[in-house]
Amino acid sequence: MSAEIMLECSGLRRRFGEIVAVDGVGFGIAAGETYGLLGPNGAGKTTTISMIAGLLERDGGEVTVDGEPMTTRSVRAKSAIGYVPQDLAIYPDLSGRENLMFFARLYGMSTAEARRRSAEVLTLTGLADRAGDQAKHYSGGMKRRLNIGLGLLHRPRLLILDEPTVGVDPQSRNAILDSVAALSGAGMAVLYTTHYMEEAERLCDRIGIIDHGKLIAEGTRDDLVRTVGEGDQVRLSAAGDLTRAAESLAARSWVRQARALDGGIDLVVEDARSELPAILSDVAAGGVAVRSVEVTEPDLEAVFLHLTGRALRD
Amino acid sequence: MKVLWIALSNLRRMFRVRTNFFFVFVFPMVLILVLGATFGGSSSPRLGVVSTGSGPLGAALLRQLEQTPQLRVVAISGPAALLTQVERGNLAAGVIIPPGYDGAVRTGPGATLRYLARPDQSSQQLGETVRGAVARQAALLGAARFAVAQHAAPGFGAGLADASRISPAVPAVSVTQVTAGTTLFSRSLGQFDEGAWTELLLFLFLTALTGAVALIETRRLGLSRRMLATPTTPATLIAGETAGRVLIACLQAAVIIFGSALLFGVNWGQPAGVAAVVILFALVGAGAGTFLGTLFRNEQQAIGISLLLGLGLGALGGCMVPLEVFSPVMRRVAHITPQAWGNDAFARLVGHGASITGILPQLGVLAAYAAVLLTLAAWRLRRVLAG
Amino acid sequence: MRAAWLICRKDLRSRLRDRSAVLIGIVVPLGLAFIFNAIFSGISGGSNVISLGVVDADHGVASQQFTGQVLEAVGRSGLITIHTEPTVARARELAARGTLAAVIVIPAGFSARVQAGQPASLQVIGNADAPVSTQVARSIAESYAADLNRIRLSVATAAAANPGTSLPPARIRALAAAAAAATAPVAVRDVSAQTRELDQKSFFAAGMAVFFLFFTVQFGVTSLLEERNEGTLARLLAAPVSRASILGGKLLTSFLLGIISMTVLVVATTVLFGAAWGNPFGVAVLIVAAIMAATGIMALIATLARNAEQAANWQSVTAVILGLIGGTFFPVSQAPGILSRLTFVAPQAWFLRGLGDLRGGGVAAVWTPALAMLAFAAVTGAVALFRLRRLAEV
Repeated sequence: MSAEIMLECSGLRRRFGEIVAVDGVGFGIAAGETYGLLGPNGAGKTTTISMIAGLLERDGGEVTVDGEPMTTRSVRAKSAIGYVPQDLAIYPDLSGRENLMFFARLYGMSTAEARRRSAEVLTLTGLADRAGDQAKHYSGGMKRRLNIGLGLLHRPRLLILDEPTVGVDPQSRNAILDSVAALSGAGMAVLYTTHYMEEAERLCDRIGIIDHGKLIAEGTRDDLVRTVGEGDQVRLSAAGDLTRAAESLAARSWVRQARALDGGIDLVVEDARSELPAILSDVAAGGVAVRSVEVTEPDLEAVFLHLTGRALRD
Repeated sequence: MKVLWIALSNLRRMFRVRTNFFFVFVFPMVLILVLGATFGGSSSPRLGVVSTGSGPLGAALLRQLEQTPQLRVVAISGPAALLTQVERGNLAAGVIIPPGYDGAVRTGPGATLRYLARPDQSSQQLGETVRGAVARQAALLGAARFAVAQHAAPGFGAGLADASRISPAVPAVSVTQVTAGTTLFSRSLGQFDEGAWTELLLFLFLTALTGAVALIETRRLGLSRRMLATPTTPATLIAGETAGRVLIACLQAAVIIFGSALLFGVNWGQPAGVAAVVILFALVGAGAGTFLGTLFRNEQQAIGISLLLGLGLGALGGCMVPLEVFSPVMRRVAHITPQAWGNDAFARLVGHGASITGILPQLGVLAAYAAVLLTLAAWRLRRVLAG
Repeated sequence: MRAAWLICRKDLRSRLRDRSAVLIGIVVPLGLAFIFNAIFSGISGGSNVISLGVVDADHGVASQQFTGQVLEAVGRSGLITIHTEPTVARARELAARGTLAAVIVIPAGFSARVQAGQPASLQVIGNADAPVSTQVARSIAESYAADLNRIRLSVATAAAANPGTSLPPARIRALAAAAAAATAPVAVRDVSAQTRELDQKSFFAAGMAVFFLFFTVQFGVTSLLEERNEGTLARLLAAPVSRASILGGKLLTSFLLGIISMTVLVVATTVLFGAAWGNPFGVAVLIVAAIMAATGIMALIATLARNAEQAANWQSVTAVILGLIGGTFFPVSQAPGILSRLTFVAPQAWFLRGLGDLRGGGVAAVWTPALAMLAFAAVTGAVALFRLRRLAEV
């Protein structure tokens, strides 16, 4: 069974003056699929989705949403999209209910429909008992929930979330991630941008890695991890001259990559079980004290590092 | 000197917004200029005169009107234009010397001038002045006609010449005038003088009040609290905020005073007296502004209230319409405002050439206002910062 | 269109909740109009009749003529009220106190001296604080004196035909009688003109209203910049709503705020202070045109600024300058030279002129000022819309 394609975009291009922010990005999302756009800050994620949502003019490329072509002027295509921007986009002077009612009607619902749907969303986001208070009096978490609720209001077929968990406390963050998973399960297509690897791994069916405006890799998590090749990820939590230790490790033939981090060293090696003693003695020789060792499958950070030579999170 | 530092920082923040230069310095000067140009100079009412085709006698009458000190004559092209101007209020009234005036007076039945005025008191009053001027001219003309009628002169021209020649020697009926009572308001003011000091007071107060907005911003940004967290006592903070406002006011006053003196030749009176009034009034404004800043949380609302109070109290205190023209009742009401006392002080300094000792009562009242407002401000500010 | 209306309604709700729009649009102008009204009703509320005192120490022919005919005639015109005082001292005291604006004294022996052709004089005592009234009294006296002088001069001129000989008294009296009977060569006839100017009360009401209008309409278009800052503009753009609707909604907000503000002010000043705005239809036309002009100008400035704060500052400066030149603080129509022409750069001047003309003429008088203001609106609005299109991009 092939699910409907909700979003199809190709060759997206946009420059700002001299800088080319997005250069030939293209991907597709099917109904019920969560697609993650993963990349460091400044990679072009927000610009890409701004073009997809019809907020920004494209310099090149095509976007089709639910079969309708998308431009900054498309009314039909925009009806199918729910947009949750990174910065809070709510009216502080209006109450939660008023915010929802306004956008509901803007999306074409009648007053009665709008009222019904607003009530539903208020319950969904847990804001029902504060619905009459002005949004400026909400806590940070509540504002975030309203922000997301506004994107869901009109039952969009494609939900776009731009880094929804930046600066959010862990509890709210979990709640958001659970909600997105539920929505995806219910058949919504979701485009989710983030620079947090864990979120991408947890939520997304497929992930596109974007860097410097280009989509450098795409696939399921397993697909991506496989690009690193067979191997294990060894994470050392240590103190001392980490950089020198990492360099000397990297020189070893059976070490795929080694990187010094804040408080430790990340390695990808061929077979951790056999090579672990050598790693530890190497590191100890360099005067580094190891506190703990973790052996896992390579993760997306490792993938990114492998592809670009740079860290995903700075 | 932390107080000075806080004050200077206020100053810097204020002028980072360019438009504040306009409102604090430029606009008051422009207003003085426009006021002076419009109302200063000759305050005589403007009389439009149409005299086309009225001949030499008409021209003579026009000259007579021009020489009347209580009028300012403006030559107008025709009756239609005159009517429009009078109706619009550009002219206080109009006189039409009809074409053929010359002939009608010389040999005809006499001429009728039309006096065009709106149905209000001041126009009627002006009519009497016009009649007076015309009557003086008519005396000569009448004598000439009479001479011709009595065959004492061969023609009008000769008669007029005779009459003009004789006139100085004829014992005349005259009108003398004396003044009773003493006026509160001296007439020896220049074109821009009165406008200048009233505008100064208006703007000092207005600027001090709208400066309250900066205090709200400070609170809103949590800066006050941050400042309190440093080893700064609330007293210092309060003094600093207020000193800032006083500094801005003094700067504004300096620009307006020196600027208007240089550009428009405004006379401000004895420097010591002026300085005293300005400093005390600045303190009043600072107190009012700081107090206002503690009452509001929202900048927009504060601006609205500042405008209302600044303009309203200014108007009430005689900064827009001079206290002279207030009714006695309103004049007493006006003295609720510090502006009225400031205006009185300047009227004495400039109009009557008083020195600082001559305005001690006014200075005393201003000092009292300042003390009360500053105390209120300090009290409120302490409560608000602590709470 | 529906979207524009929804956006407008949302904005209005925000603004009215904010109270700042209510303050600037209604409370402040009303408050100021109230204060001005209080000040001015104490001044020239209408009754400026001059209290003129008369002291007749002469009781002669000439003084009877003066008081009985000349002063009576002026009194009937409503210009003066005549108060006969018994003594000069009493009259002087009243003048000093201000109870009488001025006094005309006909000294003893006046008529005799006039008869005898000797120099004579009338005295005017004026209150120091009533220069205008004193001047009027003086003019009345001078007119009378001039007429007497005409007779004297006429007689003297006729007599001068025979230089050297002096005429017998009977002849002189006959001449004097003839001269007195001769009609004055120049008469002055009053022609009343309409008043095409607002009375003081209405001027201040209208002036304040139109001055603050330019602040009230700012709330509409500037909010577009604010929404861009707040991030909500992105949400609007992501919604199935055309850009035209978004812009339209914002402009509509400005317009409606203007209408609400002006309507409240017109009604309040009329009911509370007795301001006379004029024919309702004419006033409505002028108000609509003024609002459109204000919206256009303020919108244009908003598009030139980088952010909402800068926009607000520039808009305030412009509103104040235009208000000043346009004569909303005080009438500048009497100003000399360039200022009286410069005033028409400001729509406020057209608005006030329109009201003035409406007072004097019929409704047709408002079309020219209204068209002028609409021209302002059209030009500034067109440029603003052009620039706004580029602005409404995230």
